[in-house]
Amino acid sequence: MTEPVPVAMAQGSSCWGCYQSLIDIHLHLADVLPKLDIKFWTCVADFKHQDLENYPDGSIAVGFYEGVARTEEDTHLLKVMRKKCKILVAFGTCSCYGGIPGLANFYDIEECYDVKFRENRTVTGGKVPSENLPPIEPVIRANNTIVDFDIYLPGCPPTSELILKAVTALLSGTPLDLPPHAVCHYCKREKKETPIPEILRPYQGNADPDRCLLEQGYICMGSATWGLCEGLCVNRGATCRGCFGPVPPIDSDQGAAGIGMLGTYAPIDPEKIENECKDPLGQFWRFTYPASRLGRIRIKREEAKK
Amino acid sequence: MTDERIIRIDPVTRLEGHGSLTIKLGTDGKVRDVQFNVSSTRFFEKFLEGRPMEEAPRIAPRICGICPVPHHLASVKAVEDAWGITPPPAAIKLRRLLIEAKQLSSHAIHFYALAAPDFVFGPFADPAVRNVAGVLKHLPDVAVQAIKLMQFGQELCKTVGIKAIHPTTAIPGGMLATVSEESRDYWLGQIPELMENITKTVDLAKKVVSDYIDVVTKVAVTPTYYLGLANKGVHDIYDGTVRVMDPDGKIVADFKPQDYPDYYGEFVSDHSYATHIYYKPVGYPKGIWRANTLARCNVADKMATPLAQEALKEMRELVGRPSHHTFAYHYARVIEMVQAAEHIKNLLEDPDIVSTDVKLADVEPRAGNGVGLVEAPRGTLLHNYECDEDGMILKANLIVATNNNIAGIEKSLLDAARFVFEQQGHKDLKLPEPLVKL
Ligand code: SF4
Ligand code: SF4
Ligand code: SF4
Repeated sequence: MTEPVPVAMAQGSSCWGCYQSLIDIHLHLADVLPKLDIKFWTCVADFKHQDLENYPDGSIAVGFYEGVARTEEDTHLLKVMRKKCKILVAFGTCSCYGGIPGLANFYDIEECYDVKFRENRTVTGGKVPSENLPPIEPVIRANNTIVDFDIYLPGCPPTSELILKAVTALLSGTPLDLPPHAVCHYCKREKKETPIPEILRPYQGNADPDRCLLEQGYICMGSATWGLCEGLCVNRGATCRGCFGPVPPIDSDQGAAGIGMLGTYAPIDPEKIENECKDPLGQFWRFTYPASRLGRIRIKREEAKK
Repeated sequence: MTDERIIRIDPVTRLEGHGSLTIKLGTDGKVRDVQFNVSSTRFFEKFLEGRPMEEAPRIAPRICGICPVPHHLASVKAVEDAWGITPPPAAIKLRRLLIEAKQLSSHAIHFYALAAPDFVFGPFADPAVRNVAGVLKHLPDVAVQAIKLMQFGQELCKTVGIKAIHPTTAIPGGMLATVSEESRDYWLGQIPELMENITKTVDLAKKVVSDYIDVVTKVAVTPTYYLGLANKGVHDIYDGTVRVMDPDGKIVADFKPQDYPDYYGEFVSDHSYATHIYYKPVGYPKGIWRANTLARCNVADKMATPLAQEALKEMRELVGRPSHHTFAYHYARVIEMVQAAEHIKNLLEDPDIVSTDVKLADVEPRAGNGVGLVEAPRGTLLHNYECDEDGMILKANLIVATNNNIAGIEKSLLDAARFVFEQQGHKDLKLPEPLVKL
């Protein structure tokens, strides 16, 4: 048997879902785990931050970083991971583009504090906690503006099949080839390029199971989204919300592509569109706002406040 | 106070989420303070504002990848409450199947991957071995049994929820996907093996509890209030009223989720980004409560299914009701795993589970204020949204499972720290031989 490969699994601010998806390779764990020499993985092994910091630079073959840099500790951990790992993987959509936590950038950090610590239905008069805690970053920046990554593995979370494929390739040192198709490519629904007369919200009516959801009026991000999930939601009845991020290249703008797609499909009066599509930012940029062009303008504005 | 000693454990490991521990010892060796520092937060309550209400069930699951199903369902229930709609009965059965499948896999992962390594190798073994990979290497049979339970739960979640992690099927008014007869038959075929693995887990849990009974009954025995959902007194994780039990074991409240502002208090501590939730009528810190497995087993009069009820009876004979034994959480977890398996079997045998009448077609938003509450594996979970007449979210309040436990965790850690640093009690604890000696 070949020697186990030294690996590190780190989490910024995240939901744990990407690692849960890794664990969901189930019985394949019995093949994969023995090939790993786990140097750091706080959720399953009792290594501390210091252990990671004390390894020689570049001594870990592969590192995975899940989540965003919401606190200064997350940012520090991300930088340490970059130093220690030869190959660094942006693991999941949060890590690749900012993901759902990036929606916080729609608001000023003080407004976030108000709702969380100072004022809501159950809290009144709290202060922002600070004792023995890492300071919160005022704005979420895309991880790849903080360090460079070697591999992007998007998905919220990446599917277990995709993770298994990636881990197997990484462990054996073979290149990871990911097909570049959009979700529509995997969608079994019939698309006839029919224009949309009106935009429906997803709870309205009962959709025809065989026809393109978008052409029935339900906003679907399938054509603007990387199809690494192979069309999970759209093939079973739910619209795509874009959780795998943009179709490659990795820095393309998913939200702009989504809006463009709607523009070509919906010859609807702009005022009517505005009225029916009430939350374009949250609809089209749900998973990629910090990494998008619009999102970067917002980050610059926030940083200028400092 | 230059001689005060501060012990930092950073990060706390084998825990989902982010946190560290700070223990302050005085010069006299007394424990001054124990802090559980939850070191991250992502502001979901703020960024749900301005989103269309029906998108909340597709955004909020990202709070937790271990318990996305309860977030998905608490969220959709909150929307339905605000809009005044009730989904068809078959849709509710599908949701119940989804949440029980999640309960099963989450408890299996917690018991086997997070807790078991300590039991298997003993709490002092090398961290490089004392983890799930070590279990796999040294006890492959146990590991395979664990993996099969996790797999059953996660894949059944995928069948019902489209995605096991961050499901996408629940929508105001029902469910977007159905379960086919073929698929139902496949799952029914898996039931015998499931029940066998469940029985083996119960046996293992009983052995662990009796081996570690000295630890269970001496370390971190922490009286608190308890919080949990019950349906006419019977243990339930999807629907019912919210019960609060006081430290003496008296039920002091049993209320509708919508009335939560009268009972829930939220305390912002200086040293944690996670707030501490407590029983409002008695205030903080007196009203510190705990949720999660043991709490639910404490507040319920009984379990809903026969094997689980047997197991609860045995536990009560051993540790009483209420049990304040923090280590008994593991035992309660196994009891709930049994109940989840029995519920899954019953639901799959119900002909309604393949019904296609699972979604209302004529849902209309209206201005409102809705509450959705379910039990997540780690405790009672509540979503509360206010929306305008177009169904756009104006305000959100989320009381996630773990926040109900943060203050209780600190309290039990304080007890454990006193036990270790003041009484040196750990030196006399009777620990069994590890299952695997290295
Ligand atoms: S990408 Fe999705 S699954 Fe992964 S950490 Fe972020 S929110 Fe969780
Ligand atoms: S837009 Fe959506 S529903 Fe239509 S073909 Fe693409 S993925 Fe399928
Ligand atoms: S269909 Fe869309 S929303 Fe569903 S998993 Fe794939 S990318 Fe994500």
